[in-house]
Amino acid sequence: MAANGYVGKILRLDLTARESSVIDTEEYEQWGGGHGIGSALFWDLCKDKTVDGRDPGNVLTIMTSPLSGTMAPSASGRVEVQGIGTAGYPVNWFTRSNFGGRFGGQLKYAGWDGIVLEGKADGPVWIDIVNDKVVFRDAGDLWGKDTQETQKLVWKMKENEEHGWSEVGSSRDAGRTTQKPAIMTIGPAGENLSSLGCILHDAGNAAGQGGFGAVFGSKNLKAICVVGTGSIEVADPAALFNARMWAKDEYAAKPGQPAHPNGPTFGVDPAPVLMYAKNPGDPKGPQACQGCINGCRARFSTGLANESSCQETSMYKAFDVLAHGEGTDASIIATDLVQKMGVNSYELMQGMGYLYALSKMGVLGKGLEIDTELDMSRIGETDFIETLVDMISNRKGIGEDLADGFVRAAEKWGRLEQDWASGILDFPYWGYANHGYDPRAEVEWGYSSIMGDRDMNEHGFNANFWSVIKHMMGGIEMPVSAEEYAKITTAKMVPYQDDMSMVDYSTENIYSESFAKLVVWQRHYTRFWKQSALYCDFRYPDFTNYNRLDNVGLTGDGEPVFWNAITGQDLTFLEGIDLGRKIWTLDNAIWILQGRHRDMVQFAPYIYDIPLEGSLVGPFYPMAGRVDGEWAFINTLGRSIDRDGFEEWKTHFYNLEGWDTATGWPTREVLEELDMADVATVLENEEKLGGM
Amino acid sequence: MADIDKNTDTGATAPTEDKTITRRRFLAGIGGAGVGIVLGGALFGGFLLPDEVIAIPASEGYLLVDSKKCQGCNTCMMACSLTHHGVQSLSLSRIQVIQDPFASFPDDKSISQCRQCASPTCVEVCPTHAMHVDDETGIRTVDASKCIGCQKCVTACEFDLSRAGWNFQDKHAQKCDLCLETPFMDAEGGPGGQQACVAVCPTGAISFTSEIPIQSDAGYQVNLRDEGWAALGYPIDDEGKVSPAAPASTGH
Repeated sequence: MAANGYVGKILRLDLTARESSVIDTEEYEQWGGGHGIGSALFWDLCKDKTVDGRDPGNVLTIMTSPLSGTMAPSASGRVEVQGIGTAGYPVNWFTRSNFGGRFGGQLKYAGWDGIVLEGKADGPVWIDIVNDKVVFRDAGDLWGKDTQETQKLVWKMKENEEHGWSEVGSSRDAGRTTQKPAIMTIGPAGENLSSLGCILHDAGNAAGQGGFGAVFGSKNLKAICVVGTGSIEVADPAALFNARMWAKDEYAAKPGQPAHPNGPTFGVDPAPVLMYAKNPGDPKGPQACQGCINGCRARFSTGLANESSCQETSMYKAFDVLAHGEGTDASIIATDLVQKMGVNSYELMQGMGYLYALSKMGVLGKGLEIDTELDMSRIGETDFIETLVDMISNRKGIGEDLADGFVRAAEKWGRLEQDWASGILDFPYWGYANHGYDPRAEVEWGYSSIMGDRDMNEHGFNANFWSVIKHMMGGIEMPVSAEEYAKITTAKMVPYQDDMSMVDYSTENIYSESFAKLVVWQRHYTRFWKQSALYCDFRYPDFTNYNRLDNVGLTGDGEPVFWNAITGQDLTFLEGIDLGRKIWTLDNAIWILQGRHRDMVQFAPYIYDIPLEGSLVGPFYPMAGRVDGEWAFINTLGRSIDRDGFEEWKTHFYNLEGWDTATGWPTREVLEELDMADVATVLENEEKLGGM
Repeated sequence: MADIDKNTDTGATAPTEDKTITRRRFLAGIGGAGVGIVLGGALFGGFLLPDEVIAIPASEGYLLVDSKKCQGCNTCMMACSLTHHGVQSLSLSRIQVIQDPFASFPDDKSISQCRQCASPTCVEVCPTHAMHVDDETGIRTVDASKCIGCQKCVTACEFDLSRAGWNFQDKHAQKCDLCLETPFMDAEGGPGGQQACVAVCPTGAISFTSEIPIQSDAGYQVNLRDEGWAALGYPIDDEGKVSPAAPASTGH
């Protein structure tokens, strides 16, 4: 095994035959890790890329990176999941999700850089991995259990403790650990092939978006359990330790102390991101993914909704307040419920808003046009969400329609056109729920989502929105002006550095080439550094860092330092971004085979036709921008996306990528430049090569 | 998950001796003198002369942990294996953080660190003096070249989770040496130097002291939480049962 962060083997599981085999990681190291390797494996192994997500021919990859299981800060715990999803509309695109915790570390300590899942078992199975030993086990007793019960049952089966250490084999030198086995599992929603089905790990880590729970379910796969007692060799241990200390001392919040407020970046303190209307007053302690520089979650004295943070803690808030006039425990119980049942809280939250609107319109309810036993008058109460989650998870009543996603339900009910026109169905891109960072205001979020395959869920530029909001709420001045923010941020955006217009969110600028550069940079940066190297989205990129006198974050300097100490490479920040471009282009080739064309890259109609009037926090949506040539944190509300403007912007985008602007397809020239002539040939054979 | 002495039923009396003052209290009581006393014979039959009292130096340093402040990131464990062995491994770490994601705070985590016992049973049972007290620093540590792999130290450790670990890769016992021998750490380790786990801990849940701590059955568990910690919304009382005023909701 080379001392380069990789552990050398990828586990290939044929569920149909219940057989495992090994792929040498080395064959794929050129793709970095995580998403890059996952896309390359999918390209090679999924023979028909047009199959449905629930088809046995779908290939699911679960990949770590060289940084997984190491001290690279906030990069050790994440795992990238890819394959054809079940939640996209109108096409179930090849998609991705990623989850934190400690699964990736355990997988690598067991000697595996990743897992490939193919085929379909003839009955429920779970996979038992202990170092290099891999066993397919019958999951009949686990099927139907929620994600928490499942993990506890598997742990019980594997208990073998002596003197506090669990032996993993019969010989004394087989390995031992004090750690609980790491498990990824689905709940009933995934078993019943719902596109809202997530894959859960521990209490609060989920590959949530994309509907991969249904992919597990379609393969009759309940869970994967891994125990690893081995080691990961790294190129330069002392350099890795020193880099961690540098990042901690220079950029992180002081241990155990509040940091200057900022959005989700490297410098924030270890406080949980709780968004309940009334946060639990119960005592709590901090909780983090493996290796995090400062965690974002907590565990509570009640044990309820442990490890939940951010959106899932706000998913029932509005309805709870609607029913009770204030936040109550109903919100916390709802959050705990979706984690246990393995249900996508994003889609459920926006979907409940849609059901509420339909009920207020007199369309949905008992004996109405959309006839359901679901008692909408109970929305906000615990029994309502328990009933709804049960209906979706088990395809009962109206749940049979909703289990395939709210957009498909609307289509089935013959309401898609009108509810997308009015905007009550707030699913703006590819059938995914609005993340709350609406394309009309925070335009880069919308553009990146619609140019990709899903709600992008990348907070790099969104961090500034939260930074400004937190300062406003705290009544304190921003440490930097909008102009300084733009200067610090764009200085890091190689190869487009110093074009400050990239982060100008004024209406005059959002269709410009500069704004296309922003999104191209984001697609390439995240594809490698965040989704392949697996730096966490909640800590990277670190553009502005208010723990520092100069307010300049570690992005650009930080990412390659850890990568190189571990891999022994000499990769520059820009070279990583260039590799991200290659990975992004391969992803596009897959989407093109699935039917992607420029013409279908469109938001839902309300994004063009109805101006946005509110943000998550009120009647303001501050982003950096110029007003009469002067930089300010401007309010980006009150506008919609201009159809012609968006077309102009797409042309800029495709030009920057070097792709054919008429179709949005890569050309042979670009593919060959990226050393992917084979991909060009495949596209050409399908008559889908750009510029032909 | 308190750090419980596996040989103790009540937490007050060591079952292997019948004395009016418990051995533990006795040791704690004399600890301030900087010298630990090993009582031979009845306690540790076979390895020391019967009824002999031998003075051994106390360690010049101890790790203190506050599991209520720990975020469970295991960075301390990775730092330990990295600086000692040059690899990333949880199994080779000499400090162990154990957690249950579904358990209730504060019982969701425990930190098991070597206490550098005043009366180190791991040292006493070692037939080859591989497990020994370092002459200069008093640190209880292992000379791997002398270890014959009998694992008596592993089973002799008094705590639920043995602080003397078995390095199944290199086939010898190992334990926390306060970073005395850390070939992959540039800074000097040991007492007076840097301990990798203390240095990297993001929340400050581990600290070093040169004063011999008074130990209870909960081990060297101390309260390392201050007002700054309370400002993050976490309890700072010893038991972790009193929440500070709730901070404002935040989100991303």
